[in-house]
Amino acid sequence: MSYAAGVDVGSTQTKAIIIDEDRRIVGRALIDTGANVTIAAEHAYEVALRDGDIHEEKEAVGFIVGTGYGRYKVTFGDTQTTEISCHGRGAVHMFPATRTVLDMGGQDTKAIKVNPNGEILDFSMNDKCAAGTGRFLGAASTALEIPLDELGPTSLRSERPVKISTTCTVFAESEILSWLGKGKKVEDILFGVHQSVAGRAIGLLRRVGIEQDVAFTGGVARNIGMVKALEELLGFPIYVSEESHFMGALGAALFAMDHVKSRQAPSKLMGVTA
Amino acid sequence: MVVRMLEGWQDLPIEGVVEYCRDLVEDVDYPTVKRWRENGGKVVGRFQVYFPDEIVAAAGMLPLSVRGGSFEVSEAGAHFGGYLCSIVKTSLELALTQKIVLDMFVSHPICDSARNLAAVYGRNFDYPCEILYLPQNANSAHAITYLRGEYDRLKRDVEDVAGHRISDDDLRAAIVIFNENRRLLREMYAIRRDSPWLLAVDEAYVLMAVGGMVPRQEHNELLRYALDLVGKRTLQPQDRMRLVLEGGFCEQPPLDLLHTIGQFSYVVDDDLLIGSRWITEDVSTEGDPLGNLADAYLEHSSYSAVQHDLRKPKEKMLLDRIKDSGASAAIITAAKMCEPGLDEQVAYIKALDEEGVPYFVSEFEESMTSFDSLQIQLETFIENILFV
Amino acid sequence: MSSEQIKRVPATPDGGAETIVGRGNRDGNQLFREWYKELTTAPERGEKAAYVFVMGSLAELLRSFDLHTVFPEINGLQTAVRHASESYIADAEDYGYASDVCGYVKADVGLQMRGGDHPMGRIPPPAIAVYTNACNTYIKWAEIWERMYHVPIFTLDVPGSRMEGKRTWKGDADFDNDRRYVEGQVKELIGVLEGVTGKKFDIDKLRDHMGYANRMSVGFKRVVEVNKAVPALYNGVTDGTVYLGVANGFRGREEGAKYFEDLVEELEYKAANGIGTLHEEKYRLVFVGVPCYPIFRRFGEMFSKWGGEFVGSSYLWFASGGMNTGFEYDLDNPLESLAEGVLVTVRNAMDSMFYSDKMLVDMVEPYGIDGVVYHSIKSCRTVSTGLADNRLAVMKDADVGTLLLESDHMDSRVVSEAQLKNRVDAFFEGLATRKLIAERAS
Repeated sequence: MSYAAGVDVGSTQTKAIIIDEDRRIVGRALIDTGANVTIAAEHAYEVALRDGDIHEEKEAVGFIVGTGYGRYKVTFGDTQTTEISCHGRGAVHMFPATRTVLDMGGQDTKAIKVNPNGEILDFSMNDKCAAGTGRFLGAASTALEIPLDELGPTSLRSERPVKISTTCTVFAESEILSWLGKGKKVEDILFGVHQSVAGRAIGLLRRVGIEQDVAFTGGVARNIGMVKALEELLGFPIYVSEESHFMGALGAALFAMDHVKSRQAPSKLMGVTA
Repeated sequence: MVVRMLEGWQDLPIEGVVEYCRDLVEDVDYPTVKRWRENGGKVVGRFQVYFPDEIVAAAGMLPLSVRGGSFEVSEAGAHFGGYLCSIVKTSLELALTQKIVLDMFVSHPICDSARNLAAVYGRNFDYPCEILYLPQNANSAHAITYLRGEYDRLKRDVEDVAGHRISDDDLRAAIVIFNENRRLLREMYAIRRDSPWLLAVDEAYVLMAVGGMVPRQEHNELLRYALDLVGKRTLQPQDRMRLVLEGGFCEQPPLDLLHTIGQFSYVVDDDLLIGSRWITEDVSTEGDPLGNLADAYLEHSSYSAVQHDLRKPKEKMLLDRIKDSGASAAIITAAKMCEPGLDEQVAYIKALDEEGVPYFVSEFEESMTSFDSLQIQLETFIENILFV
Repeated sequence: MSSEQIKRVPATPDGGAETIVGRGNRDGNQLFREWYKELTTAPERGEKAAYVFVMGSLAELLRSFDLHTVFPEINGLQTAVRHASESYIADAEDYGYASDVCGYVKADVGLQMRGGDHPMGRIPPPAIAVYTNACNTYIKWAEIWERMYHVPIFTLDVPGSRMEGKRTWKGDADFDNDRRYVEGQVKELIGVLEGVTGKKFDIDKLRDHMGYANRMSVGFKRVVEVNKAVPALYNGVTDGTVYLGVANGFRGREEGAKYFEDLVEELEYKAANGIGTLHEEKYRLVFVGVPCYPIFRRFGEMFSKWGGEFVGSSYLWFASGGMNTGFEYDLDNPLESLAEGVLVTVRNAMDSMFYSDKMLVDMVEPYGIDGVVYHSIKSCRTVSTGLADNRLAVMKDADVGTLLLESDHMDSRVVSEAQLKNRVDAFFEGLATRKLIAERAS
C-alpha cells in the first residue's frame, strides 16, 4: 500500500493528512503552529503518521505536498502548492457538486471557483484588512469575553441582530462595547458580528461569481453562527464538513497522491489526475 | 406628465415635514423615483458634485442626484478594490440592486475615482453612461465657449434618451424653476446664519437633499412651506458655538453625525451637497440658455476641493465662509479615502492656524453608525475654546 | 550632440549581437543618470525648471523655452525603487498629509521640504508647473507648489472620452470643440511661459522639438507592437520602465529620438534572431496598472520564477502619455497640431486607464496572452478604481487567467510580499490548470 501526505501550515494551526491509494483518510493531525514553523510541520506529520499507525513504514508515503503560509517551511516535503488550490481540490473531493469554495481562516478569507475536477478557475482573497476573516470574530470574543467556540452557538439565540458598522477589526472591540453600553443583548451583538463578517465574505464570493453548490471550509467553518449567517445572506444551504479545517491538508494530500499514481517527477503542475 | 412625487406633507408641522424628508432621504428604495418611473417617466442619474440639472428637467426627465447612502454594500464590493471611498461603492450598489433604475448615468471629472465611473457603469448597464467634462481650467478665456459646447453635446445625448428635442424655451422654463430652488436654498442658509436656533444642520440637510430625488417644482413648494414654518418657530437661542462644517461636498456625512454635531453647536454654514447651491446667483433667462448656464458655472459659483480655479484659493474661500457666517470655529472633515478632501485639509489647517481660527479635524464615512468617540472629541474641542 | 555624431551600432548577427542586445537598458540607464545630473546643475547655470507629469508633459513646448522638465512622479518612483520612499512620505505625513493621500504626492512634499535632496541628485525648484487633468491629483498637487513657491501653475485641461465606444475624431463637431479649447489654452500657456522665462516664443524651435517627439512617437509605437514576437523581446514591466523613463525625461529631445530608433533596431534584431529575455517563457502576460516599486525586482521575480513574462503593460500606454498611439505632429502647422496631438494622446492615456478592458481583450490573440495581471494600488485611484470591474469584464470576453493584486507603488507599509506571493503562486497554478484543460479538450 502506498500513501500520500499533505501538510497545511497555517498561521495559528498546522494540519496534516495522510491518505491511501483509495484516497481515504488514514491519519490526521492538528497542532498549534507556535513559533517554529518547521518544527510544527514535522510534528504534525509525525502525529498524523502515528494516528494512521504507519509511523513504522514511513517510506510507504510516496509523496508529501506542503501548503499554507508556511508551505516553504515543510522542508521534508516534495513540493508546495498554495492553499487556494488545495482548498478547491479538497472541497470538491468531499462534496463533488461544489463549484464555489469559501475558505475562511484566522488571517484571511478566500473565494475559489472550481471545475468538477477541483481545478481552480478563479479566486479572490481579502485585502490586507482583516474584516471578513476569523480575526474579526477573535476581536468579538475578546471584547465580550466569550470563548471562540461559543461565539456561534451564542449568536444563534439572537432575535434582533445589531448592525455592526465598522469593518475595522481594531475598532470592532470599541463598537461592541458601545452596543453593550446601550443595553443590547450579547447574542444580538454577536449575530450582528457574524452577519458583518458574512457580508464581507459574500462580497469576495461575488468577485469570482457565486455558482452553486457552495462549500464552506477553513477553521471558521466550524462556527455554526457563521454558517447560519452565510446561508441567510446567500439564500441557500452550503456544504460544511466536520473536517472543514482539514480541507487544505486533504487537498495537498490529494495532489500528492496524483504524483504517487502518475509516478511523475515532482512537478508544480497542478490538477494532474491519475 | 403631472404626477406628484411628494404627498402627505402639506398639513404637517415643521417637525413633521423634516421627519417626512428624513424618511425619504434615508429610504434606499427611492420611492419617489419608483413612482416617477411607474408613471412612465425617465430618470437620469448624475453623480456628485455639480450637474446642470436644468438640461435634464427641460427634457421632462427626472435628474436624480446619485449620492450613495448609509448602508453596507454587497454586490458592488466585487466591482471595486479596497482603497476607495464609500460613495462610489454605495452608488453602484443602488444601481446594481435596482434600487434605482436609470435611463442614463452621468459622472464628472471631479476626482480620480469619479471619472472612472462612466466606464464602470458602462460595463454593467445597457443605458448610456457618460462623463460630462466640466472644465478644470476655469481660468482659460476659452473655458466658457468650450463648456457651452459640452453642454450642447450633453443636451443632444439627453434628447436621444428622452426621444425628443429640447427647445431653448424648455431650457429657460427649467432655469426659472432652478433659480427659484436655489433662491429658496439661499433663504434657508440665511436662516441658518441669522437665527441658527430655528433650524438645525441635520434638519436643513434633509429639506435640501429631497430636492435631488424629485422634480424641483415640488421641492420648491415644499421648501416654501417649510421655510415659512421655520420662521414661525418659537425656539429660543442658546449659548452655543457657531461652526462652519467643511468636507461634505461629495460623500455625505450620515444624518446622525450631523445630528450629533447639531446637538451642541450651531452649524451656520457648510458645503453639504454644494452642487445644489453651486450657482450663487440667478441664471439669466434672456438669450442663449446653455451659454448662460456655462457662464453661471464658471463666473457666479461657489468653490469646492474638486474644482480648480486660481481666482478661488480654497483656504481663502473657507476663511470668507467663516467670516461671512459669523462662525468662530470650523470642523474640517473629509470622507475616508477622499484624495481631494484630504489634500485640501492640509491647506485649510495652515490657513486657519495663521488666522487663529480654532478647528477640529476628522474623517467620516457615510455608513458609520457609532459617533460616541467623535462626540466626546468635539465636545472637548468646544469646551476648550469656551473656557480659554 | 547630433545624430551623426552618435555612432550607430550595426544590426548584423556577426559581432552586432554583443553590443546591440541590452543596449536599450544600458543607454537608458545612462541617459537617466545624465538627465538627473543636468537637473542637479541647472540652477548653477541659471536655468529654470518646469514641473510636469507623464501624461501630457508638453515637453516639446517647454523645451522651446529652454526649460528643464522635472517629473515628480519619476522622482517619487526612484525613491521607492531605492527603498528611500518611507522617510519622504513620513515627512509629508508629519506635515499633515493623511495616510490615504497618494504616495507620489507625499514623497514630493517630503522632497520639497528637504530642498530637493533626492537619491539621484538635487531637484531644482519649479519656475512653473504645467500639467493636464489626466489625473485629478496632478491638479491638487500643483496647488501645493503654488502655495509653497508662489509660482504660476497652469492646468492644460484635456477633455477625455465621454463614453466607451464613442470617440470623436478630427472633423467631428464635438472633437473640434475639444480641440479649440486645448489650442486656446496652449496659446495662453505660451504667454505665461514668455513671462516666466523672459524669452520670446520661437515657433521654429518648437517645430524642432516636435520633430524629435515625432521620431520618438514612431519608435515607441513600434516598441510596443514588436513584442508580439515569441519569445517576447523585453519585459513590459521591468524593461518597459526604463523605456518610459527615456520617453518622458527626453521627450522632444534629439537624444530621445535617437534612443528609440536604436531601441527599435535592437528589438527587431532580437526578433529576427529569436532572442528573448533571459528566462524560459511559459506564460505570456499583460500587466495592468502601476508597478510595485518598493519591491520592484522581487515583484518581477514572483512571475519570472514561474516562466511568466509581461509582454505588454497598460503602464506603457498611459505613463508614456499615449505615445503608443504613434501620433505624429504636422510640422507645417505646429500650434494647431500640438493641440490636436495633446488632445489625442492624453485622451488615449486616459482611455488606457478607464476603458482598457476592450484594449486588453484585443491584445489576447495577437500577443498570445495567457493571463492578465491587475495591480491595484492604494495611492492611485485614477488607475485603480476600475480595475476590479475591468477584470470581470475581461473574463467575460476573453479566455485568459486573471489576477487582481492590491498593494501600492510607493508605500511599503501596504505592500505585503508574502500575501502577494501567495496569490501569484495560486494564479500560476490556475494558469497551469487552464493549459491542462485546454490540452485535454484538444
